[in-house]
Amino acid sequence: MIKENTQSRPVTPSGLERARLALAISAGKLAGASGRLLGVGGGTSLPGLIARRIDPNVLKSVVGASQARKIVITGSNGKTTTARMTAAMAVSNGKRVSHNRAGSNMLQGVTAVAVNFADVFGRLNSDVLLFEIDEGTMPLVMPEIQPDVVVITNIFRDQLDRYGELYSVARALDKTLEDLPETSTILLNGNDPQVANFGQKAKAKRLFFGLESTEVGTPVPEQSADIIRCIHCQEDLVYEVAYMSHLGIYRCPNCGYTLPPLDIAATSIKLAPDGEGPTHVEMRTPQGNMTLEISLPGIHNVYNAAAAIGASLAAGFEKEQLPAALVDIKPAFGRLEKIQAGDQTIYLSFVKNPTSFNLILRLIAQHPGKKHVLLAASHTIVDGEDFSWLWDIDVEAVAQGIADVVCSGNKPEELAMRLKYAEIPVDKISLVEDREAALDAALKNAGPGGTLYILSSYTPTNELRRIMQKRGWVKHVWQE
Amino acid sequence: MSEQVQDTGMVVKIGHLYPTLMSVAADRGNLFSIQKRCQWRGIATEVEQIYVRQTPDFTKYDLILFHGGADREMELASRDIQAKVPSLIEAAESNTVFLSVCAGFQLLGHYYKPFQGPELKGVGLLDFYTEGGSTRFMTHMALECDFEQTGKRVLVGYENHSGRTYLGPKAQPLGKVIVGWGNNGKDGFEGARYRYVFGTYLHGPVLPKNPWFTDYLIQLALERRYGKVELAPLDDTIENAAHDAALHLAMEFKGTMSAIEATPWKR
Repeated sequence: MIKENTQSRPVTPSGLERARLALAISAGKLAGASGRLLGVGGGTSLPGLIARRIDPNVLKSVVGASQARKIVITGSNGKTTTARMTAAMAVSNGKRVSHNRAGSNMLQGVTAVAVNFADVFGRLNSDVLLFEIDEGTMPLVMPEIQPDVVVITNIFRDQLDRYGELYSVARALDKTLEDLPETSTILLNGNDPQVANFGQKAKAKRLFFGLESTEVGTPVPEQSADIIRCIHCQEDLVYEVAYMSHLGIYRCPNCGYTLPPLDIAATSIKLAPDGEGPTHVEMRTPQGNMTLEISLPGIHNVYNAAAAIGASLAAGFEKEQLPAALVDIKPAFGRLEKIQAGDQTIYLSFVKNPTSFNLILRLIAQHPGKKHVLLAASHTIVDGEDFSWLWDIDVEAVAQGIADVVCSGNKPEELAMRLKYAEIPVDKISLVEDREAALDAALKNAGPGGTLYILSSYTPTNELRRIMQKRGWVKHVWQE
Repeated sequence: MSEQVQDTGMVVKIGHLYPTLMSVAADRGNLFSIQKRCQWRGIATEVEQIYVRQTPDFTKYDLILFHGGADREMELASRDIQAKVPSLIEAAESNTVFLSVCAGFQLLGHYYKPFQGPELKGVGLLDFYTEGGSTRFMTHMALECDFEQTGKRVLVGYENHSGRTYLGPKAQPLGKVIVGWGNNGKDGFEGARYRYVFGTYLHGPVLPKNPWFTDYLIQLALERRYGKVELAPLDDTIENAAHDAALHLAMEFKGTMSAIEATPWKR
């Protein structure tokens, strides 16, 4: 089923260019290996950084020379899990996959795929190259990759402090689609009023995925929803059902703009009542209907599954092999990752914007009992500098179900303040900036045999996970 | 905060302008901050949401909130708000307190001219105009305010705007920039005020981590209805810690155009 890719015919490099490429890849690999050896990191982006310094064309050269199917997954939320599901589907189809699976999705992390998986001659021994790419990084990376399939999961209010405003991110992302050849496929979330309109000027084929069931969702979008006005005439959209944030079945009462017919659609969704999964889904696809059991809980994972199935079909994988990949898929690092810590249980969730925060809060609210929580937020280059968005989270809706909270990271006051204004009693909130001390304090709150919920921005998630790894509760990210 | 609070019998009437249209940076935290700090003192709040095509009598509100949005939303608000102008001006002249933030702030001026695209007409309540720049100020900010009732106090938050605002003679600045860029990156001023109309570029949101400013707005709003009032003190340990942390951060980022881009060499 692997089609001949005529678009990215390898160019024959000169001797000097070959030498530089070999040096770049070797140096990158060495950097990754020493990082792992020294325990300072999994080599998820450092190899890319080093290699690009030596040969800025390293990604372009390696990817261009490969005959593999190239799949790019981008958008605000759901990239990592969609990529993992797609990878599992590729593997169940007997494909060899190269994938930036540790979730480093900026330029250097994407380049690390080339460095880590290629030999020193820049040759990749893979049938599928899978790239998870930060939505703001897409304009930089797309010209270097020329993918066969591009998936756009959604665009939510995210990283305003990095990219200025939502619409400029969206415009730049949409623009990257114009250069794709006719042989490529763009897979768009039809439930996202903005994303569904992407690719109007693209030559590539457009397919839409999404949800079509009224068994789940709410009648109106939540507070943090962004695109609730028609993208053509600015009239307020009317929703038949809203699934998460501004994703839903929408219609403009003025100009009639509505979602396109969905090519890959979840027509029936049975979520697990306990918030722990699995979800049973009927999925319509261009190749017929599928019955799915998705081991990961929540409506967001139905989106991830629909996107992964769409990507897999567009990449030419056999439909029959796809459902099996979803039955026992494990959560990605920090995606409601269940961790056994002696006789205690920890659910670790990486949350980065109101949409993901609300999703996780709602899911864990379905778990029994009052919750012991550890929240952590840090301002760093990856986590961002402005934490205004904490006030878009619907903490109020779950405040009653919270027993106590430890606030950590280098922004503990900010978190504590948000909780206080949601009427969580101040004597139930403690501030412990040090991550290890915070983890211990929160586990003490949870008590023997208890359960702890950690919701944390990216950097403190890594820090907390490293502590848990030291204690033997989890493996290294790159060993998963 | 669950202990019994003595009901003061007082109420603050709040008008929340364009709550869904202009809500980009979680500025609803400003409303939460006002509501809770009233509630914790036994002061009731009544909030009315004001959407496009609605033209209430704005003089009935003691306090009006008008928050930020992207250019696209601003265009809609600019068009819609023209029908609201006379009543908004009447409210301002009758001592209604306004807190306007970012795009909301810009729309209280004469006009906003985006870097590209047509000029957007404002309310003209504050004497200033704004023009879009080619670069964006995206960093931590602190400014020093000096109001008669509060004395010198510091406001902290995060600015994220490309608009450059230039004040006319009838508007006073909200404060002097300590760190950050403020109105235009040149004259050292931030925000604007006229009577009890306040405008600022500060997100964060601005009120939760500046409880002194929140209380100042509440007090002004109450005094409009009840004459001189004294606000009961609250325990602001957490709020002040957040304020101090934000100020510390602003100092650390002094001179940076974009905090995120500055981070690699700052840390």
